Amino acid sequence: MLEIRDLHASVAGEPILKGLSLTVKPSEVHAIMGPNGSGKSTLANVLAGRDNYEITGGEALFEGKSLAELEPEERAQLGLFLAFQYPVEIPGVSNMEFLKAALEATRAAQGKEEWDSVTLLRKAREACKQVDLDPQFLKRGVNEGFSGGEKKRNEIMQMLLMEPKLALLDETDSGLDIDALQTVAKGVNSLRGPERGIVLVTHYQRLLDYIVPDHVHVLSGGRIVKSGGKELALELEQHGYGWLTGGQDGGNGKEDRTA
Amino acid sequence: MSRDTALNLPEDLKTRALENARQATPVEALAPLRRDALTALEGAAFPGRKTEAWKYTSLFPLTDGHLARRAEGEAPADLPMLGEYRLVLVNGRLDEDHTALPEGVTLGRQARRLEGLTTPFAFYNGAALEDAVTLDVAANTDVSAPIQVLHVSAGDSPSHCNTRLEVNLAAGSRLTLIEQYLGDGPVLTNAVTAIQAADNAHLTHYRLQADAGDSLHIGTLLFQQTGVSRIDSYQLMAGNRLRRNDVRAFLDKSGAELNMHGIFVARERSHIDNQLCVEHRVPECTSNQVYRGLAGEKGRAVLNGRIHIHPGAKGTLAELSNKNLLLNPGAEIDTKPELEIYNDDVKCAHGATVGQLDALQQFYLQSRGIPLAEAKRMLSLGFVNELIMSLPDQAVADWAQPWLAAELGQRPGADEEAA
Repeated sequence: MLEIRDLHASVAGEPILKGLSLTVKPSEVHAIMGPNGSGKSTLANVLAGRDNYEITGGEALFEGKSLAELEPEERAQLGLFLAFQYPVEIPGVSNMEFLKAALEATRAAQGKEEWDSVTLLRKAREACKQVDLDPQFLKRGVNEGFSGGEKKRNEIMQMLLMEPKLALLDETDSGLDIDALQTVAKGVNSLRGPERGIVLVTHYQRLLDYIVPDHVHVLSGGRIVKSGGKELALELEQHGYGWLTGGQDGGNGKEDRTA
Repeated sequence: MSRDTALNLPEDLKTRALENARQATPVEALAPLRRDALTALEGAAFPGRKTEAWKYTSLFPLTDGHLARRAEGEAPADLPMLGEYRLVLVNGRLDEDHTALPEGVTLGRQARRLEGLTTPFAFYNGAALEDAVTLDVAANTDVSAPIQVLHVSAGDSPSHCNTRLEVNLAAGSRLTLIEQYLGDGPVLTNAVTAIQAADNAHLTHYRLQADAGDSLHIGTLLFQQTGVSRIDSYQLMAGNRLRRNDVRAFLDKSGAELNMHGIFVARERSHIDNQLCVEHRVPECTSNQVYRGLAGEKGRAVLNGRIHIHPGAKGTLAELSNKNLLLNPGAEIDTKPELEIYNDDVKCAHGATVGQLDALQQFYLQSRGIPLAEAKRMLSLGFVNELIMSLPDQAVADWAQPWLAAELGQRPGADEEAA
């Protein structure tokens, strides 16, 4: 469902991804690991279509369509979902109103039946419960005044409702305590299925204790330098990234600045 | 219209206004007021391009000859109801058939001489007045239901009307007043509304200005808080061919409180100019003003917020906040807070900003499948939502939500212009 070939991309004119290839098939869970600045978050943002994240070479196909040709909303309507590393606060727009607009647009595009407001509210409450989020949050402004952990759970809650074909989780584990991590992992695991692909972008191995990946890739300097099974994550945990990246733990240092 | 016409416009307007005033039908009850206003009009100059208070608002649209004729159209058959009680003025004349008022409110057909009017248009309003409406709320009366005052303008060709409303709240009275301006056609509504509040009076005031885009409006709203009173005013306004609102408030008794909340929207090629002036003339009064403005396409919005604290007005609390949102680069908003303080013992805060829609917020909404145009509409609504949520009357909120949703919706060609 996701086919990335020799992808080059730049952020605000600066090359970050330098020939990345990756294939994700339905039912697979891929973990993309790597040191800070290796291009992990850039990959997630490029795929979702964020402004200033530009594909300069190669291609990224989702469901056979070139992502470069699609607006961010068209990608989402095709079934791509990005759980943000830093979810955005939108005061004045309630979570519920936001979910309604998102689900109306995506479900219509995917030919799924429309949910009336009663169904939507029921489903949203269930999803909140699943990630341990007080349903009162549905009435509040999108992410407005949420704690770091609440924001991450809100992302997973949206993901559960939107039932994407491909979920990209950008450092969803960062800033979570162990309880929240388990809750989030449970939510993600409940979405695992034969029709769905999941890509976890993470710096640390600990998320992978709870969401066990089929494939692990190590990103460094804008390309994948090593791929393996879940055991690769454990090796990284023991040895650090140095043995793969030639002792450099930092890539180009751009990632956090632009995130 | 030639350039010469525009250059002579201030003089032409004055000549025309004086002529109209002298020819207006004499009405006995209004005679003293009209004499005074005529004197004021004779001594006044109509604004030209160099008049500071009209810097951003050109009277060029009036070269179409609006002052040459009085509007003679008829009101549409179905007028909106926002409450049980209603007063209808069509082109400034009372429509008795559509008027029904609650107990405790007396309707009069006269007008007072008003202190605090500044524009030649306000003088002209008085000088040429052929009808006027006064609502007197009896002392210690809590008027149970809102009164909607509909100012309807109607006409097919460039013309104008003078509309005048005065409301007096006697001591201990309470009233909700919904002033709504409706209009279709190229009519200039030249409006004066004056509201006086005595001790312990409480007014909730709405000003809904959603008249059609080809209409014009020049008006003054006066608040005279002669008693320890409270006024909460909510103003929802769309730009049109020319909209100019002068709001002047006089806080004249210690303990008086004024809260003004406003939303103004200028889309397409519309124009709106808000000139606010709050006069703190005695100690220990409070004023709080919160305005949100939006402009899109070639829309133009202006806000000048003056707070004038007189030498004796110690212990004043005064605040003004005006945040604005430009929906695309072709639009323009000019905002200026203007503080004039002649007393050290005051607490005064003001702030004005002009910004654009946040790109990251847009991307976040798009990343959930929401099309860009809808994302922009949601974010624009979010920008003013707090104010809409705070509207105390449900009937007004029910009117405001769809109005704003339409007002902030996508315009054809908006995105091409932005690109």
